[in-house]
Order: sequence, then structure tokens, then C-alpha cells
Amino acid sequence: MTRSLSDHEIRGDPESILEVSDLDVTFDMDRGESKVLDGVSFEVHRDEMLGIVGESGSGKSMFASALLNAVVDPGRASGEVIYDDPDAGPVDVLSLSEDQLESFRWEEVAMVFQGAMSSFNPTMKIDEHFEETIQAHGEPMDDRMAHARELLSNLYLDPDRVLGSYPHELSGGMKQRALIALSLVLDPEVLVMDEPTAALDLLMQRSIMNLLDNLQEEYDLTIVFITHDLPLVAGLADRLAVMYAFEFVEYGPSEEVIRDAAHPYTRALLKSVPSVDAALEDMNPIEGESPDPVDTPAGCSYHPRCPLADEQCVAEDPDYHDVGEDRGAACFHWERSSEAVEYKLGVDPVVPDEPSRAVRGDEETVVSLEDLEVHFDQSGFIDRLFDQDATVRAVDGVDLEIAENEVVALVGESGCGKTTLGKTAIGLQEPTAGTVRYRGHDVWEAKRGEGEIDHDRIRRALQIVHQDPGSSLNPTRTVRTSLAAPLKRWRSDLNSSDRETVVHNLLERVGMKPAEDYALRFPHQLSGGEKQRVVLLRALLMSPDLILADEAVSALDVSLRVEMMELMLSLQELFDTSYLFISHDFANARYLAEESGGRIGIMYLGNVVEIGPAEEIIHDPKHPYTKVLRWATPPLDPDAAQEARETEPPIREIDIPDPTDPPSGCPFHTRCPEAREVCREREPELTASEGEASLAACFREDEDHAYWESEPIVEGSSGENAS
Amino acid sequence: MSPTDESSTDGGVQLSDDQLFGQLADSDSVELSGRERLARILDAYVLAPGRVAWNDWRTRLGILIIALFVLAGTVGPRVIEAPATNQAPTNHPPFEGGFGAITEDGGWIDLVQISVGSVSLPWLSFEFPLGADNYGSPIGRQLVHATPDMLEMVVAGAIVSVGFATIIGVTAGYKGGRTDSFLMYITDIVMTMPGLPLVIVIAAIYPPRQAWLVGVILAIDAWPGLARALRSQVLTLREESYVEASRTMGLPSRTILSRDVIPQLMPYVLINAAQAGRKVIFESVALYFLGVLPFTTANWGIMMDTAYSEAFALVDLGNFYQLLWPMSAIVIISFGFILFSQGMDRVFNPRIRARHTKKVGGGDEQPPTE
Amino acid sequence: MSEYVGRAREGVAATLGFLAGFDYYWRKIGHAFVTLISVTTITFALFRLMPGNPAQAMRAQFESQLEGSGQAADPEVLDQMVQVHTGFDPSQPIYMQYFEYVRDIVLYQDFGQSIQYGDPVFDILFRAMPWSVFISVYGLALGYSTNILLGAAMAYKEGSRFDGTMTVVATFLNSIPYYVGALLFLAFFAHDLGWFPSGGRYDTSIEAGLNPAFMASIVHHGALPIMSSFIVGFGGGALAMRGNSVRILGADYLRVARLRGIGSVRIATRYVARNAILPLYTQMMIGIAAVFSSSVVLEYIFTYPGVGWYTFDAINMRDYPLLMGSFLFFTIVTLIGILLAEFTYGIVDPRAGSGGENESY
Repeated sequence: MTRSLSDHEIRGDPESILEVSDLDVTFDMDRGESKVLDGVSFEVHRDEMLGIVGESGSGKSMFASALLNAVVDPGRASGEVIYDDPDAGPVDVLSLSEDQLESFRWEEVAMVFQGAMSSFNPTMKIDEHFEETIQAHGEPMDDRMAHARELLSNLYLDPDRVLGSYPHELSGGMKQRALIALSLVLDPEVLVMDEPTAALDLLMQRSIMNLLDNLQEEYDLTIVFITHDLPLVAGLADRLAVMYAFEFVEYGPSEEVIRDAAHPYTRALLKSVPSVDAALEDMNPIEGESPDPVDTPAGCSYHPRCPLADEQCVAEDPDYHDVGEDRGAACFHWERSSEAVEYKLGVDPVVPDEPSRAVRGDEETVVSLEDLEVHFDQSGFIDRLFDQDATVRAVDGVDLEIAENEVVALVGESGCGKTTLGKTAIGLQEPTAGTVRYRGHDVWEAKRGEGEIDHDRIRRALQIVHQDPGSSLNPTRTVRTSLAAPLKRWRSDLNSSDRETVVHNLLERVGMKPAEDYALRFPHQLSGGEKQRVVLLRALLMSPDLILADEAVSALDVSLRVEMMELMLSLQELFDTSYLFISHDFANARYLAEESGGRIGIMYLGNVVEIGPAEEIIHDPKHPYTKVLRWATPPLDPDAAQEARETEPPIREIDIPDPTDPPSGCPFHTRCPEAREVCREREPELTASEGEASLAACFREDEDHAYWESEPIVEGSSGENAS
Repeated sequence: MSPTDESSTDGGVQLSDDQLFGQLADSDSVELSGRERLARILDAYVLAPGRVAWNDWRTRLGILIIALFVLAGTVGPRVIEAPATNQAPTNHPPFEGGFGAITEDGGWIDLVQISVGSVSLPWLSFEFPLGADNYGSPIGRQLVHATPDMLEMVVAGAIVSVGFATIIGVTAGYKGGRTDSFLMYITDIVMTMPGLPLVIVIAAIYPPRQAWLVGVILAIDAWPGLARALRSQVLTLREESYVEASRTMGLPSRTILSRDVIPQLMPYVLINAAQAGRKVIFESVALYFLGVLPFTTANWGIMMDTAYSEAFALVDLGNFYQLLWPMSAIVIISFGFILFSQGMDRVFNPRIRARHTKKVGGGDEQPPTE
Repeated sequence: MSEYVGRAREGVAATLGFLAGFDYYWRKIGHAFVTLISVTTITFALFRLMPGNPAQAMRAQFESQLEGSGQAADPEVLDQMVQVHTGFDPSQPIYMQYFEYVRDIVLYQDFGQSIQYGDPVFDILFRAMPWSVFISVYGLALGYSTNILLGAAMAYKEGSRFDGTMTVVATFLNSIPYYVGALLFLAFFAHDLGWFPSGGRYDTSIEAGLNPAFMASIVHHGALPIMSSFIVGFGGGALAMRGNSVRILGADYLRVARLRGIGSVRIATRYVARNAILPLYTQMMIGIAAVFSSSVVLEYIFTYPGVGWYTFDAINMRDYPLLMGSFLFFTIVTLIGILLAEFTYGIVDPRAGSGGENESY
């Protein structure tokens, strides 16, 4: 397949800085040659922010590596990558010598990887990383270090502190920003970022994206931003390019692509992504699976999944069709795609008049938490000697009731205690104060054998689905043995043939066919989504009353999340269970909770700061922190995105305060844009304002509160708690 | 249909058959014959690991070497005559007559006729091929007849040190807290003690007279390293999501340990058992060579001691073969142990094993696209 | 005001950090001390508590000596003789004996008196110690530097024929016990070829002192023992280093460093070697104990009068005070070596001491 943009006339384009043509990347594998980039031709424009979107395994990271001629062994890149050097004219990156590459990389094109946690040498301080880079490129040390300091403070970091630290002394968000500064220290023309924020909280991701926006303007950067998370780049990128099966299927100005995508895949992708602003009924998973790089379908690689596919698509590989100005789509039938795959953007669903299920309260409470506290004492011997309190207040006084068949979603940044709260709720973590009750029985009394109820029954009623599908299945057990374990323990009346039948039956029901094959696989032979389904089935086979789903979809590709959540909800009906769903992602929490009429709770530093029906929390957030999270969740609708891009982040500090030393009064006052002096002294309680079902812990909910007379906290004076 | 009614009153009801078996698709119920199950177990636990092991020439060599010594230790003494002094001329050189000895009579190797029933067959007869020591005791026979005691020592030492390490390490890791601190404190103390001098002191004061007892004494300082490694493994495993899931399912600790924890530790345990065996051989030979242990059991170290201090094999290099044979035996068996332990690492890797299990289709490792 | 508070707080935090840093060292020292006491207790128990223990054996020995010289065996005299040699009086209660024994060793470095030499055990061993340390430290240093270089080279050429061959060679060398190596060296280099002396610490005909001839003689005599001691730490270490280096060569930060254009020398030293050595460093701490252990056999083979040789001598002569003393001596030297390694580990690995110090082995 050869295809080049020269066939396709470019009119009035700004000058391109990187021109890729006929780029192939191949790996030799036991099963044959694996083509992970297949004849890609593309241009990156000067000073643009280009968003490259694709599912995992689509080849987008290979594209990023190839731009720097940095494809890892044993991969081979062939074709042309022309870099238009503003000083020296065009060069082909793929034919540069090692020496030329050494100065090309980082001086002209720099790269930021996903794994910021492991991008620094653990035995070197951060400043050494900067210094050695400057030295290796023979640049003036003092000037460049001053530039590094400037970059760091532009990224809201304290240069002295960061430069003098070892990598393990910094948080993930700090390391990520330090890495961005490191990549910009030599003033490159192009910055390639490969999933740079995937491991971070949404709020941190969003803050970094905003900073990138500023950096781009300040330093005249061209940014190539690669991600699987379409909404994340949709609002910020100037142009979008969508990758499917090792080639670009569509490109164009961001807003136009989002508003009216031409390629059926892009349209399906837009539909499948959970977002906060689209209507729930419009979110649908893409049918079928991404192709294998060894055995890509002939013709258009999307044809097996495409509703528009006909003989032509099977026989011929489509070229880019001119969709609009500077827009192209590799589809024969792009004109009909809008009828075949419909989607709407930013349609605010009408808040239903009938009270949601959560408020009806006719279901029995399954688990109730009362004034729950979980504190971890981390002080060592010397700390105690000097009376230094190093207690982490993971959960600090939380009340929560979960009814039968209810979905409660807990949202918060990492370190806010949501996982600890969840594990305490299902009796895995003993609280330091307060009680956990299962249907009115104290769980920990029962565990000690003092309760009226057998602990075994509680144990079986409260189950868990973990975040990382990779470690939630025993790697030495097949799917069959993993699923048979709960049956063996609790259904001794079933013989092994029965168990086998059940396993096969359920595997088929969650779409893992043929079941006989899947049943005998080891976990490493399953994809992430398949593993997560097995884990969910295993939990459901216990016939639980409540399942703690701890970031259960966060490790999956964005396009697979809706499908997984749909499965969770359909199995909920079959197996009669409640979910306590934990997520740092507002969009996921919204999907699951709103779809089932459940509630969303917002957690901050061990406290629930707002809780209520999903619609209310999403569309009418009250607590300033909820507003922050809402801001951090990117909308798909270009208008809303534009608005969000222009508003200042409603937060004063990017980083969370030290959890061993939480702020006095309202825990959020150090970052809250609305904070006043009274917030430093007094802690607000969860209160409901009139006519609303949701509760928020903020003085602003009370119109007569002393808050309104109090002085606003002046910017900068909150330094004592800044981390 | 669903057990909602009961569950609202007492909760924790078992799944209804409808939930488990309902909506059966094209495949009706699955019938598993006993034979099929047996074949499956056999394939998973015996054949697949066997194929993995056999597939790698190093593991294969290791297994062959160990099998050879086990054969020499079990069958050997029954087939080969026991050594005694003056069976051969003193300091009888090995391979006397060289290759020519095959055709000539009276060399180390002879062509003879043996009669099986009425048929007479050509057969090889060996005459002290490895030579004899200072007392005319044939070295080949000594080597073979020392092997049972050596194996006894190795097995005892490996079982005791690995068993002890497993108990300490798994307990410390799984229990955690004070138990952990206490056990690890003891482990650290033993680890920092110089092992061989301690064993020498103990052996000098209370000389062990049985081979297995020598193994046990040598195990005293062989366990701390493994105990520590196992503990940190268990500490990591304890936090793994699937172990937590098993705990949440209410599986008893016994089941969790045997299902989720121990199988992951087996590579370490087996590798270290082989390493401990090697260590027991090294140290026991050293101690017999020093003459610290009583010569109540047969050991290659005793042969070395005799060669060194009676035949002066170092000074009189003509007798050096008397040292060389036992030394070679030590080197070869420990080489076998190391190869075997390296191979076990592969056997326990589910990724490698799955490729050798039957009936598993599709979806092997994905190519590195990201 | 808040600035002042902040500064005061920083000051306190810095002090705490400083003390916490020392906490790590104090704990290590405390641990070494407890180990020493434990070992002393074990030696005492072996000496005194078990049936048929050395103290009784010695008493019987002295009794027969006295009887042989025609003297009456007065129990008090016998007890006194035992006390002279062991440091405790058998007629006293056990706990008093234990107390005195530990006190003598810890406070006065009094390890008792050798039966065959008649000298204090401490003096004999203290004179012999530098020679054992000389052999062991050089052997260990040589073994580990070879491991590091070879392992790094194998990792650098991963998958090549060199790598494959060296893996098998290292595995094979790993299965050769050090004493087998020592015997081979001795037979060929000393007895057959005559390149090296077959025993002793130095040429006794040369005047001892800081003269080149004497130094050369020490090196000449020490070469073979050091080579044999080198085998103790060799082989397995190279494979471990290879594994660590391969892992680090695949690490994200290495890829980023290459893209940043960092020179290959700096990558090899500051990135790969530095990080790959860390696990080896902790392994070396255990290696110290193994190397000192091996000196008993090595010094016997090379007739090299260090602590190990005296240990062997003491076994042969049933000189229990010397035997026990040398065991304690080995323990102390090993503990000092491990302490040194642990203290410097804090410099090599910035993450040491910040949690997880229990994992230092």
C-alpha cells in the first residue's frame, strides 16, 4: 500500500515541519512479519498542536518513535521522515548518522514518554539529568540551567526543590512536569508526547494540558500529542489525526473532525467514549476487535467492523478522500458515514422529573458506614521521640449507606482515600474508628465471632474487582480453575462437570467465545478487557450483595470502557448486586451511576465533600472541588471545550497537600478559589440546600453563614501548607 | 427467578441454578469423563513441564547428570564390587596401556566372552580403569560406593535447609508484624555468622557419624538467604490483587497459601534446593578433606584427603589422578545441579509452559505495537 | 510570621532528617552488636552447656596431664586451670560464668588462653588476622570486579555467541569449588612449574619491613591464595550482573537517556553499571561471610598462617580456647566488613534508609 500526500493537493497549508512519507515499521516475529506501521504518509505543521488518537495496539507509539528515528530493536523503520530544519533546510531523519541523530534529537525534536515514573535514573538527582543533557549537546551551562529553572517554575514547580531531589522523592505529577521541562531545556522545535499523562489523575492531566497550551505559545513549539483518550486532546489540539490498524484513517482540523467526522471508525470512536456531556444513550461500544499486526485484513482494514463495508472495501485499500479543506478520510463511502453512524455532541440530557432511585429509599440498606475513620500510623521511632505526628488520615469521618441494587460511584484524586474507604466498606480493612455494618450487623464484631451473623456469610456477600487486570488473576491458573474456585468453596453440591458447564455458560454470556478455548487459557493469553470480564465473573459467582469495583475500567482503553460498564450493569440485573464504583475519572463514574440511577460521591483528603444523584452532581455541582473535577473532565463538544480552554482552572494549587499534615478547617481551603478566612478555622458539614437531593460540605451552601462576612484568603499567603 | 426475596431477609443466598445455567447457548452441559480430567491434570502438571525442561539442552544435560549420579548411588553399589585395599596394585595408574589396551590382555579394558544361558556374547571387562589409590583400593569403585552416602547427605541437607527456609520465610512474610521482625532478626544473625567455621566448631565438638547428620549440620548456615528471598516474595504476593480477591472470597489461608502463594515460590524453592545440594557437597568434601569429620561415612573428600596427605598427589604429579577423579565428580555433579536449577526457572514460567500445553488456542503474546 | 514558622519548621524537619539518617546507622550498629552477643552466647553454650562439652573435656585432659606428671588432681586446681584458659570458673553458677565470659570478650578482648601455645588467644589471632584479611579482601575485590566487567560485557552483547559461551563458562566455573581450584593451582603453578611458592606468607630469608623485596615476596606468596579466593565470589555473580544489566538496558530511563544524546561512556558507567551493581552490592555483604569462611580450607591448603590456619591447627590439637576464639574472631571480622558495606551502601543508593531498609539483603 503506497499513498502519499503529494497525490492529494494541499492548498494554503502552513509550512510543514515534519513530512512523513511511506513509513513502514516492521518486527520479525515467530508467527511472521508484524507490520506495526503500514505505509503512513503525513505532515506535521509548524507551530501546531497535533493530536494523534488511536486505541492501544494501533501503532501510534511507533509513529512517535519513528519521528525521532528511535524505533526500538528489533523493529525496522523504512520510508522517509523529512524534518524541515529552519536553519539548515530539510533532512531525512531516517538516514541520519548516529552522530547527526544525537544532535538532532532533543535539539530539534524532543520526546516525552508515558512512563515518567521510570524516565529518570533512580540514582541521580534531577539537576544532574539537566546538566548532563546540556553538556552532551555542548550548550552553555548557565544559560540553559536558568532556562530550566524558568521552565520548572512555569510548570508550577519549585525549581530549587525539584532540582535537588532524587526521582523517588517526587510525586508522579511532579516527575511528569520535570520531564516536560527536561525535554524543553534545549529549546526544541518539536515536542513529541506519547501518552504523557496516562498514569496521572484527570485533574493533573488537565492541568498539564493547560500548561502545555501556555508553553506552546511561549516557546513557539510544535507539539505532537499521542493518546488513546480522545476527549483529552479534542479541545486543545489544532488538528486531529485518527489512527486505526497501523495507518491514519482520518485527519483534519480538530473542531471539524469532532463535529462531523468523516470516517466510520472515527464516528464509532466518538460514540464509544464516555464523556460528561454527551447523552448516555449515544454512547455505544465499537463492535468487533482491532486487527492483528501480523494478519491485517485485506482492503480497508476497518471493513470487518464497518456498517458501510461492501465488496470494494474488501478488495481495495481506500486512498484519502478529500473531505474538506485540509481534511482527509481513507474511506470510499465517507459521504454516507454520517447516516450510518450517528452521534450527537454535548446534548445536555434533560434532568428527569421523577426522583431517581437513590432517593426513593425503598430498597434495604446492604452496607452502612458510620463515622468511619481509617488512619495509618507511619511515624518511625525517631518521629515518635520528637512527637512528630506522621499519621495518614486516609479516611476521616465518613458516613455512607449503600442500598440493594444501587450503584455508588466515588470520585477523587489519587491519595484521597477512596480505595481505603472502599476496602473498609467490604470488610478488608479494619477501621480505626466508626463501624461498618452489613445488613445491620457489625462486620468486625462478626469477624471476631461476637456477632449474631456468621462471618462467612458477610465475607461472601462483599466482593471486589481490582483495577489492574494484569494482577487480579493468578498467573499460574487457567481461566477455568480461577472461575471454579468460588464454586468449589460455596457450591459443594456441584460436581466438576457442573462447574465446567457453569464456567462455559458464563464465558459465552460475556462474549468470550468459544468458551472451551477461553476456559483453558492462562491470564497472559487474554486481553485486558477479557481478563477484567473473568474477574467480574469470579466476583459474581460468589452471589455477592455488593461489589467494590476499584477503578475497574481505568486500565482499559477508552473505547472499551463503555462496553465493560454496560456488561457490569447487565450482570447487575442478572445477579442482583450493588456496586461501589471507585474512579478518578468523572466520565466513567457518570456513565455507570447515571445509567443505573445511582449516586456519585466526591472524596477529598479522606472526606466525602459532596454526594448525591448522578445527574445533579454532573450538571449542578455545588462544592468547589466538584467543580474543579468537573472542569478537569474534558467535554467532547467543541464549544464547551473552547469554553473550558479559556476559563482559568478553578484551583489555586495543582498538587495535593501532604496527607500526613492535612490543612486545618476545610481540607480544601488551600486550593479552593472561593476560600475565605473562616474556611481555615472551621470544617463544614455535609448539608443539603433546599430542593436538592445532594449534600455538599461547603459553607457556601448556607446563605446565612459567617463565610459571607469573612475575608477571602489572599493568593500566596497559604504557603505554609503548600507542598 | 432471582433470590431477591430471601436475600433481603438474610442475605448471602447461593446463586440460583437459573443464574448459573440459564440461557444455555448452543453448547449444552459439558460432561467431563474421569479420564479426560486425569489427562488434563497429567498434561498440566507432568507433561507440559517435562516438555519445557526437555526442550532446553542445558536443562536436559542437568537432568541427565543428576540422573546419572542417582543411578550410581542406587544401582551402582549393587553392580560394582565394593572397594577394598590391595584389590589393585598400589598407585595403579588409570587407563593403563592407553587405547592399545583394548586389544591387549591385562589392560584397563578387555574384550571377553560372557555366556548368557548357552549363548556366548562378546563383552567388555574393565580392570581398574580409573586407577587405584595409595592402598591399592580402586578409585572407580570408591567413587561409586561413596555416592549413596553423598546423596543421602545432599537430600538431607537440601530438605532441611529449604524446608526450614520455607517455613521461616513464608511465616514471616504472611504473618508480618512482630513475627516477621523477630524471625528476620534471627535470620540476619545467622546470615552474618561465618558458616563454615561454625560448622567446623560444631563438628569438632560433636562429630557427626551418619551421612544424613552431616547434611543437617551443613544446612545450619544454608537457609537464611532463601528465607529472606521467600519472605520478600510472599510480602509482594500478599499484596497482589488476586490474593486479596481470594481472601475476599473467603477462601481459607491454607487454600490461599497452597493455591496462590506457594506455586509462585516453587521456582525459588527448587532452584535453592539444587543450590543447597551443591553447597552441601562443596562443604562436606571440604570438611572431610580437612579431616575435621570422622571417616565413618564414604565421601569423595576422604579420597582427596588420602590422595593429598598419603599419596602426596600434589608434589608427585604422577599420582595427581587420585585427586583429579573425586574433584571431577564434584565439579560435574554441581554443574548438573546448577543447570537443573536454571532450567527450573523456565519450567515454572507460565508463558513458556503454556506454549507446551495441549489444547490451548489463539492469542499468544502480542507484538510490541505500543 | 508564617514565614518564620515555616522556617522553624524546616529547621526541625532538617534536624529530624539528620537524626533519622543516623537512626539507620545506629540500628545497623545495634544489630551487629546483638549478633556478636548471640554468637558469643552460642560459643558459650557449645563450650559449657552441652553434655560432653569442651570444658569437661579440657578438665579431663588437665587431670590426666597432672596425673601423668604424678600430681594429685585437686578439683580446685583443675577449675583454676580451666579458668585460665577459658575465662570462666567452672565452680561458679552457670549465669555467672556466662556473664564473665561475655564481659571478658566484649570489654577486655579476653578470649582465653591457648593450650598448645600458652599465649592469649587474642594475641595469636590478632597477629594472624591481617594476613587473612589481605587474602580475603583482595580475592573478594578481584572476584566482584571481574563479575561486574564480565556480566556487563555479556549483557552488552546479549544474545551473541560471546554471551552464550560465557554464560556456559561462568556456569561451569561456578560449579568448581574454590579448594579444587586451589589444589589445581598448587599442583601446576607451584609444584609442577615452580612459579609460585607452595606455602607460607613470605620468604623468611628476607628482612621484614617496608622494603620492596619483602613486599614482592608477600605478593608472590599471596597470589595463589588470592586467585583461589577469587573463585569463591566468581561465576554466579557474573550471571547476576548480566541479568541486572539486561534489565536496566531495557529500562525506560535508559531509552530516554539515549534519546537525550548522553554519551555511551556515561550511559555505561552512570546509568547501567551504577544501577546494576546495587543488587550485587547487597549480595556482596553475604559474600563477605562466605569468603572469610573459605579461608579455613584455603589457608590449610596453602599452609598460610592466618586465622583460618590457626582454626585448623586448633581442631587438630584439640585446642578448644583457640578454636572458639577463632570462630568469634571470624564473626567479628565479618561483622565489621558487613557494617562497612552497609554504611557505604547509603552513599551508593540514595533510596537506602528511606523506608524498606529491611530489604537491604
